[in-house]
Amino acid sequence: MMPAWLAALNPGWLMILVGIAALFIPYRQVRQVLTVGTPIVAIALLVMAPHEVDLLTAEALDITFSFYRVDSLNFIFGLAFLIASLLNAIYALHTNNPRQDGMALAYAGAAVSASFAGDLMTLFIFWEITAITSVFLVLQAGTRAAYFASMRYLVIQILSGVILLDGLSYVWRYNGTLSLEAFQSFSDPGAIYIFIALGIKAAFPFMHNWLQDSYPKASVVGAVVLSAFTTKLAVYGFARLFPGFDALIWIGAIMTVFPVFFAVIENDLRRVLAYSLNNQVGFMICAIGVGTAGVGNALALNGASAHAFAHIIYKALLFMSMGAVLYRTGTTKASELGGLYRSMPWTTLFCIIGGLSISAFPLFSGFVAKSLTMSAVAYEGVSDAGMVVVWLMLLFASAGVLEHSGIKIPYFAFFGHDSGKRVKEAPFNMLLAMGMAAFLCIAVGLPAIIPGFGYQWLYSLLPYPVEASSYQPFTLEHILTQMQLLVLATFAFILLKRFALYPAEKPGTILDTDWFYRKAGYGFVQWSGTVWGKMGPAMSAMFSRLSERAYKRLESAFSPRGEIARGGLSGGASIWTAVILAAVLLMSFLSS
Amino acid sequence: MSNDTTPPVRDTSGRFVKTAAEKVNAMSRTSEDGIHPMSRVLFGWTEKKGIGGIIFWGMAGLSILLVLLDLVVPRHEKIGIANAVGFYALWGFAAFSFVVLMGWPLGKLLRRDENYYGDLSGPPADIDPAIADRLNAGEPKAFEGEE
Repeated sequence: MMPAWLAALNPGWLMILVGIAALFIPYRQVRQVLTVGTPIVAIALLVMAPHEVDLLTAEALDITFSFYRVDSLNFIFGLAFLIASLLNAIYALHTNNPRQDGMALAYAGAAVSASFAGDLMTLFIFWEITAITSVFLVLQAGTRAAYFASMRYLVIQILSGVILLDGLSYVWRYNGTLSLEAFQSFSDPGAIYIFIALGIKAAFPFMHNWLQDSYPKASVVGAVVLSAFTTKLAVYGFARLFPGFDALIWIGAIMTVFPVFFAVIENDLRRVLAYSLNNQVGFMICAIGVGTAGVGNALALNGASAHAFAHIIYKALLFMSMGAVLYRTGTTKASELGGLYRSMPWTTLFCIIGGLSISAFPLFSGFVAKSLTMSAVAYEGVSDAGMVVVWLMLLFASAGVLEHSGIKIPYFAFFGHDSGKRVKEAPFNMLLAMGMAAFLCIAVGLPAIIPGFGYQWLYSLLPYPVEASSYQPFTLEHILTQMQLLVLATFAFILLKRFALYPAEKPGTILDTDWFYRKAGYGFVQWSGTVWGKMGPAMSAMFSRLSERAYKRLESAFSPRGEIARGGLSGGASIWTAVILAAVLLMSFLSS
Repeated sequence: MSNDTTPPVRDTSGRFVKTAAEKVNAMSRTSEDGIHPMSRVLFGWTEKKGIGGIIFWGMAGLSILLVLLDLVVPRHEKIGIANAVGFYALWGFAAFSFVVLMGWPLGKLLRRDENYYGDLSGPPADIDPAIADRLNAGEPKAFEGEE
């Protein structure tokens, strides 16, 4: 039994505090011990924490704050965040950057704290801390592009926070509580605001470009750290507050499909991974939408949670492998890469494992995680024709994932046309972090030859473990159909390459919805500025001329030199004034 | 005391460990021409003559086999059309091909100059210092916010 004070120690708070302390520690070795050791301690604290209890509360302004509450839903998200934080710390061991070390740890801590928040206000506070801490990871790249991208990123993240605050104000005003109860419909007070706030962070379609804009411009380590937290925190938020909302099914399905088309023409492989992140989050969002509003569906929520866990690990692995390539070659542009397996065989191997996992090949983590979602949607499809369309979209997107993350990333970076680049293999710490992530991708995806291990370990962590234990991903039928999908899609790639139908990787900027604010919006503001710049002086000149003329007229009439001041008229004016005054007095007497 | 007095068992063990350590060391050192020794172990097969044809026909054969297996493996799909023989195979092939072929018109429609937004920059500051020095020769290494 843990002492009460230790049980009440939120692992996320510990990470934030150590992260802030790390900013001021000049000794690299001390920081390394802290950045690696803190997530390990945090994992131990979380594993020992009792569930379904408010472990740390406070009262202020008639509001009860619940700072630390663990349950079956947030446990798996928190655990995945902590594992990702540990992997990130190992991946960053070769660097000597206090700001990056500190902010990476504090960012992870904020995401963990937000996921263990027991009320909306606590969630909001840590929601904002994730925004503020993460922007430093983009800034650490030190480039002009990263600077501007980080400013756009910050604006959008803070906007999300402000809308969340707006929403929770409505909840407080009408419900008199800030508890994290699931909404029943969009007409609930504050529901729509909170939905939009979460949607921005989950990178919903048309709100998604902050992700593709900033992550690929972050530092080598920064992009790996960023990939794990913000979007999955939003996924958790949806699972907590909006389970079973139909809108999420379609939004999620669209999210899985549209990034696939951008990823195929994108040249920057870290940006391809950012699109891939969008697509993967789409699967989770879609799963959360399945079921009854306010309740969800046990199989689908298990699917979203399992997918989030597996995704955090394999996406980090893919970003790590591209980070290693960037570290050694200075670029992740597909048009400048190729043939790197000769110099970086271990990185190649780990990247392929990440690719196999995200593509959901049997024996890898994506297979056991995505199966739950696909099955839940298919069950709904029995009674709802619309869900058949959704299911087909998800299946389409599964082939799309294989295209951009399973094949394009490893093929164009490590194989394909030999770029002639001969570099060193990634530093040992990077290989160690990638190796650990690759191990998890395989370990979680294996059949449970020993009961409780393999996929059963992951399933035992899910929000509905009883329902999860009755689900069997390794059936002959399921393996066959999944292999059909993936092998035939791979064969399509080989065929298209053989007949030169696969579009060549070309350098360039791919336009996306950010064009509307980066080009059209910015252009409009610039045009308005130019117009105002010309109109302003013209209007000033016009007003100045008008006032000058008016002054002259008045001056010529009323000044001591004016017409009225002349002696001849002054007597006449007095008589007229007296006549008018008399008339007014007479009228007022008559009317009273 | 001479070396002859050392027990043979210990000697053998020592030699084994030393040989193993040397082997591991050799396998982790990139040669002067930039080739990592492990690349031959892990991916040497990709350089074999005629491997392209083997992969092509191998995958073609595997694809046919998987579709044929559909005839014997009983299926219990919830969604009716998914029960059709080779449905997943066809959907996977068609979806993949469609996505890739759409890359041609979409590339023409959406691809612009690399510096379209006017913020084209070099790699981030935390790349390998050896590469950074080579790439950033003559360029400012970091951007502090000023235009």
